[in-house]
Amino acid sequence: MSILQIHAQPSRTTVWILSWFLFATGIASYFWISRGRHLDNPDDRVMPTLRQMERAFADATLKPAEDDEVAANADRQSLVAKIRNSMLWKDTVATGRRFLISMALLFPAVLLGLHMGMFPYVGSFFLRFVLFFDKIVALSLLPILFIAFGIDELAKVMLIVVGVAPTIVLDAFNLTRSVPKEQIVKGFTLGAGDFSVTYRIVLKQIWPRVLNSIRLNLKAVMLFLFAGEMIASQDGLAYRIALLRRHMGMDTIIPYVLWVALLLFLVDFLMRTLNRKLHPWFQEA
Amino acid sequence: MATVRTALDDKVDPAIPESPALICIQDVIVEYGQPGKLPKRILNGVNLDIHPGEFISIVGQTGCGKSTLLRLVLAEEMPAHGQVLVEGSPRKQPDRRCGYVPQKYSLFPDRTVLENITFGLEVTEIGMFGSFSPARRVRRHEFQAEAIGYLRRMGLRESDAVKYPHQLSGGMQQRVAIAQALIMRPKILLMDEAFSALDPGTRAGMQRLIKDLWRETGTTILFVTHNPREAVTLATRVIALGRTGGDDAGANIVLNLAVPNANNELETAALVRRVEQSTFPAGTDLDEAGAPEL
Repeated sequence: MSILQIHAQPSRTTVWILSWFLFATGIASYFWISRGRHLDNPDDRVMPTLRQMERAFADATLKPAEDDEVAANADRQSLVAKIRNSMLWKDTVATGRRFLISMALLFPAVLLGLHMGMFPYVGSFFLRFVLFFDKIVALSLLPILFIAFGIDELAKVMLIVVGVAPTIVLDAFNLTRSVPKEQIVKGFTLGAGDFSVTYRIVLKQIWPRVLNSIRLNLKAVMLFLFAGEMIASQDGLAYRIALLRRHMGMDTIIPYVLWVALLLFLVDFLMRTLNRKLHPWFQEA
Repeated sequence: MATVRTALDDKVDPAIPESPALICIQDVIVEYGQPGKLPKRILNGVNLDIHPGEFISIVGQTGCGKSTLLRLVLAEEMPAHGQVLVEGSPRKQPDRRCGYVPQKYSLFPDRTVLENITFGLEVTEIGMFGSFSPARRVRRHEFQAEAIGYLRRMGLRESDAVKYPHQLSGGMQQRVAIAQALIMRPKILLMDEAFSALDPGTRAGMQRLIKDLWRETGTTILFVTHNPREAVTLATRVIALGRTGGDDAGANIVLNLAVPNANNELETAALVRRVEQSTFPAGTDLDEAGAPEL
């Protein structure tokens, strides 16, 4: 039987093997090449071994950052205290805080898109401007943002908002417009006013799709956040990666990259699960 | 006698109620068009009075403006010329005087059956911010009890109350949509091909249900259908729309027929034939024209 058949029905085992094959191949290839490089040059820093990465990750997780004040009495601390004072924890908290602030700032973007879709005057006022703004490459605004807002948190958060908000506004706008007119008319005939229809009918119906849209834009959010952190920051996961790059610290960079991917995967999973639990009608429909 | 001004006044049946008109459609012209292009006329000077308690079926070929006429009464659409009065005042925006049961998207997909039926009561009596008031729980229970009553009346089980619309069949969805509209006690119920997507058996059941509900509530019903038999079976008056002056002239009323209580199949068949002759040109295959037999 040909594998290129539309009606092919691979078994569960085959599906499992196929879905993990590229992971296994990638990991095996890495360690095979790494081993070869280390046989040639035991001090190779480009492709660290598993043991080197383990050691570096343990240091990042359990040892305080080099510039930390608590470094002196680190040995006497409990495991939890060690983790909380560690470089990885502090970087994760710093990046996480910026990420959450940015996500919270996307909520007004959803409301703007909703109102643009519902109220023709609001739509006429904002649509052309948002469409134009959406085409501006956010990273090109980076110098302007740093000049305007300084190199503190605000500039980094603004970079994310400028980069992602127009997409979310336009998504919310299009989702609002896609709600069948019958639903809106029905709302009016049941006694709802303009704002009741907007919030109780339309927003409720588009909300799971908006969450999906935000979820799909998570990578863009992280991209802008990392750009901001790499250029001007004193802490954060991207700041650390940029710092370690100068010292060729691949043994820490690779675990950091995998840690970021894991965090993003967990946020994505959490949002999907929440969406499913909060809106059972949406997933099943 | 109340006036019904139509293109074919001689076809008006004398059995039209004496009470003042609830809906008054006066010389209405509807045109659709894009800037820079000649507008396409859909309705051309339609005049029609509808009296309280009437059951009006609107029939006609696809694209002749049946749904447009309904949307005018609903105030979802405004005429290019003329006006639509409900209880003597011009329509500006859809409101709770008119209940609405469309063919599709008749229920809110994010709400359960019970929440769909009680939505109107909650939104009008509790309001947007009243949901935090202590009296809310009591009122909500009252609404739910009333909704369950409607649910039973529609032939649905109490266990269906917690289901979402996508878990119901097409016929059940339309039953809930009717309950959702009727619980608000509208003066007018507008049904836009509400049974078109249903299989013949379900459709016949829904026809009986809507007729019984009309008798019980006395609500004025405007029922758009492309099925002449359904129109005759249900209505007290059949309005047929058609284009008499070519495709670009727009449609007008070509038949305004009061339907007596037909005593037998022969009488019904004669009325159906009359509606068919007015609605569809001679030689049209009615099944293909969208008039399937029940």
